[in-house]
Amino acid sequence: MPLKTLKQDTAETLTLEWVLHVRNYKLTLNKNLCVGCEICALACPKEAIGLEKQPKALGVKAKHAKIDIDLEKCNFCGICDILCPYGAIKVTVTGEHILSVVEKESFPELIRDIQVDTSKCPVDCVECEEACPLDLIKITQLTADGKFVENIDSLTEKEKTGLQIKIDIEKERCPCCRICEFNCPKGVLRVRKFIHGKISIRPEKCPEGCTDCLDVCPILGALYLSDEDEQVHVNEMFCVYCGACKVVCPVDEALELKRTMVSHTPVHSGAWNKALERLTSPVEMTKELKTKGSLKARESVRKRLGWKGK
Amino acid sequence: MAKEEIQKKSKTEAPRIGVFVCECGSNIQSMMDVEDLTRYAKTLPNVVYAEHMNYPCSRQGQEKIKDAIKNRGLNRVVVAGCSPRVYDAVFRRCVSQAGLNPWLFEMANIRELSFYCHQNKPEEAAEKAKDIVKMAVAKARLFEPLQPIELPVTDKAMIVGGGIAGISASLDLADMGFKVYLVEKTETIGGHMALLDKTFPTLDCSICIEGPKMVDVGRHSNIEIISYADVLNVDGYVGNFTVKVRKNPRYIIAENCTGCGECRDACPIEYPNPADMNLGVRKAISVPFDQAVPLIYTINKDYCIECYKCVDACGDRQAINFDQKPEEVEVNVGAIIVAVGYDMHNPADMECYGYGKYENVFTSLEFERLILAAGPTGGKVIRASDRQKPHSVAFIQCVGSRDINRYEYCSGFCCMYTLKHAVMLKEKYKDDVQVYVFYNDMRSNFKGYEEFFNRAKSSGVNFIRAKLENRRITEDPKTKNLMVYAETEDGKPVEAEAEMVVLANAAVPIQKATELAEITKIPIGTDGFFVECQPKIRPNETDTPGIFLAGACQGLKDIPYCVAHGSGAAARAATILNKSKWLVEPLVANVNEDLCSGCGVCESVCGYDALRIEQNDTKKVANVTEGLCRGCGMCAAACPVGAITMPHYTSEQVVAQAKAVLEKVR
Repeated sequence: MPLKTLKQDTAETLTLEWVLHVRNYKLTLNKNLCVGCEICALACPKEAIGLEKQPKALGVKAKHAKIDIDLEKCNFCGICDILCPYGAIKVTVTGEHILSVVEKESFPELIRDIQVDTSKCPVDCVECEEACPLDLIKITQLTADGKFVENIDSLTEKEKTGLQIKIDIEKERCPCCRICEFNCPKGVLRVRKFIHGKISIRPEKCPEGCTDCLDVCPILGALYLSDEDEQVHVNEMFCVYCGACKVVCPVDEALELKRTMVSHTPVHSGAWNKALERLTSPVEMTKELKTKGSLKARESVRKRLGWKGK
Repeated sequence: MAKEEIQKKSKTEAPRIGVFVCECGSNIQSMMDVEDLTRYAKTLPNVVYAEHMNYPCSRQGQEKIKDAIKNRGLNRVVVAGCSPRVYDAVFRRCVSQAGLNPWLFEMANIRELSFYCHQNKPEEAAEKAKDIVKMAVAKARLFEPLQPIELPVTDKAMIVGGGIAGISASLDLADMGFKVYLVEKTETIGGHMALLDKTFPTLDCSICIEGPKMVDVGRHSNIEIISYADVLNVDGYVGNFTVKVRKNPRYIIAENCTGCGECRDACPIEYPNPADMNLGVRKAISVPFDQAVPLIYTINKDYCIECYKCVDACGDRQAINFDQKPEEVEVNVGAIIVAVGYDMHNPADMECYGYGKYENVFTSLEFERLILAAGPTGGKVIRASDRQKPHSVAFIQCVGSRDINRYEYCSGFCCMYTLKHAVMLKEKYKDDVQVYVFYNDMRSNFKGYEEFFNRAKSSGVNFIRAKLENRRITEDPKTKNLMVYAETEDGKPVEAEAEMVVLANAAVPIQKATELAEITKIPIGTDGFFVECQPKIRPNETDTPGIFLAGACQGLKDIPYCVAHGSGAAARAATILNKSKWLVEPLVANVNEDLCSGCGVCESVCGYDALRIEQNDTKKVANVTEGLCRGCGMCAAACPVGAITMPHYTSEQVVAQAKAVLEKVR
């Protein structure tokens, strides 16, 4: 059987495949999860991913860009899978989700730092579940003996006090926007963004009545239409710096987005440096390298002199 | 008369021509009265002696000619017989042994030019034979002694292609003491043989017998392997070639690479391995197989993500250089052996076999990698659809070969490798597997092959004779089993159900054959393979002196034949390389500089780049590179002022021939 290279594009998914006799490499893009941001396209080391802006019809909301992957260029390395903030891409080898670049330490994983202390949860509070713009949070109540509570209202007040609260978050798909954290009345959730940066809109440059960026932003609340000037403004607090807005913005100078840092597991890799450089900037990449260098120096000094540092 | 005396006299005295008519067994004798032709020859001007004999080419015949030269005082000799292509050299040597200059001889080809082509008209043929003899005599009358041209020789050789034929040629030449440059396109030498599991008819492990040869090549002090390289251009002529070669970047510093493989272990990226027929994978930094020679790793930048984990793994050896660029080198050699091998036809375009459509249809080379213990499945023959061992396998012969609509020729080795596969399967899985071979004709000539066919028959392989037409394979969509339908010679349907099908697809000329043919100026035949100088007695030589052919690029060959052919090419090349001067026939264009106006017409018509207009002390004149001139005469015919003469084919001689044959008409 000759090598088969397949590409299938349906309404729901885009699938790329290498079918070998002994192995099967598969990349699946879930189009329902993809928000048309630029992260994967920027990070792809083979420049296999392209963004196609969607035509805009008058009076209709702007649509986010579609991504297309070149089967000729893709090498199924899985870097897009690792970096996608929304978990839209999966790369598998013979059905198993094993990423060799992570195993061989040639690419880091994102750190989605989400801490949950459910001991403080009010029993019938569902604020975070309702606030999550991507429906990733599921709250369940368990009785003391570990049984699911189907209907909280059927319980007596006494029974309610003994309940355990469980918060399940689909971490792989979470872009860490912090909206749940800010909506939690008790400080149960603590979320750190994994992409840091700066976004700004210059309303004076915006075409009149254009809300394209707002239309495509997947994080409800990161961008908003101001009642005062009827123009789109930024709420930096919730922005995840994915760049979906920037992709569709029709005017170069109206929207500025800079990424400055990406939280990741420790790594020493040229591929990561390049990805980081493209995601942030050469300056930011160099900063990370310098930090790594000084950490390394400190480590070797500590080893040799027994210096503990602070 | 003594030899020296003959030599001296032939230059000064009037032509004394001897004509020798060959009876050629019954070939000529039966067609005409040779006595009559001999009598006729005697009547021609300047002919002082004529006789007919059976086989002048034999030793006795040659002795008779020599005697006649001595005793009858001949100073020109004409033999009326067969083709000069073969016998010119024989008779030139014969007359020169008698003291005549070899260029005072002429062959009158009455066999091919008259009797062979006019077999039904013996009388007219006899008349034509007389004319041919008459023309030869008219030309011989004007012959002048000529001296061979001496060319310097570089005693180094280049071999293009590192398969088993190229390896064989390289080792032989290197052992004879000549420096050899072995240029290989891929990362490793070894060719197809290195990819095979076993070899027929002995079932020796292929790489186990080729591997030591490859290592010998790698270690030989006289051999320099230039691997991962392309031949870009060939300039020059026999004894003096300049070959431009491009070394493609491996992104590895060859001298620093120890072949340890630590980089490969660190590399996270895999891609389909062409050496495994894409059934398995290799790393973005790797060697195609463990026995590779030279053992230098290569980074495939099409797949590499440049994480530099390999650089870390390589450490102090510092063998990796991501900035490596292609490098062009020029090599001077005296002889070139082209041994570029063959490719396999992709049978996907033959829909009736379902290759590429049905998962369990394989090509023979894919099967070879499947059954190979070091292959991607660890030697397990498994189906693609369910990864299970097949309980029945059908081999189908002549897929593309012997098909007048595709490749008319027989690929030569498919019958035998199919027998090999069938026997290996039977011996590996015993009665657990049914083996069917759909064959057209079973070709098992050569040593030990018929015996191997018998071994296959006795091991329980089912042989089904089926013609090429009306073959068809269908797949059961549920079981993914295959139904093979075919017809016997007399049109009776035959069929078999098999869980796996293996196609003996045609072997074809390499993809870049045309490009290489242009570079080396070797002609390509209608079958697409390179054409040798003479198919029977000069199978290694090409029309370009100094360029030789070895192995399957000249025509498909199995391993022992390739080894022998490679050694043959080496021996032929050595006949040039071992001389300090190479003598070529003096049949090269001669420019009369006084007449030449430097107009350049000759330069534009020369097909061999042998003529260049160059400035001499006083004016521009045509300059001949003797080593390149092939004596075709195009320039002499084109020259508007008649400044170019072709020795042995001068205008006077050609006109004399024409006049001789047209005399009667007038």
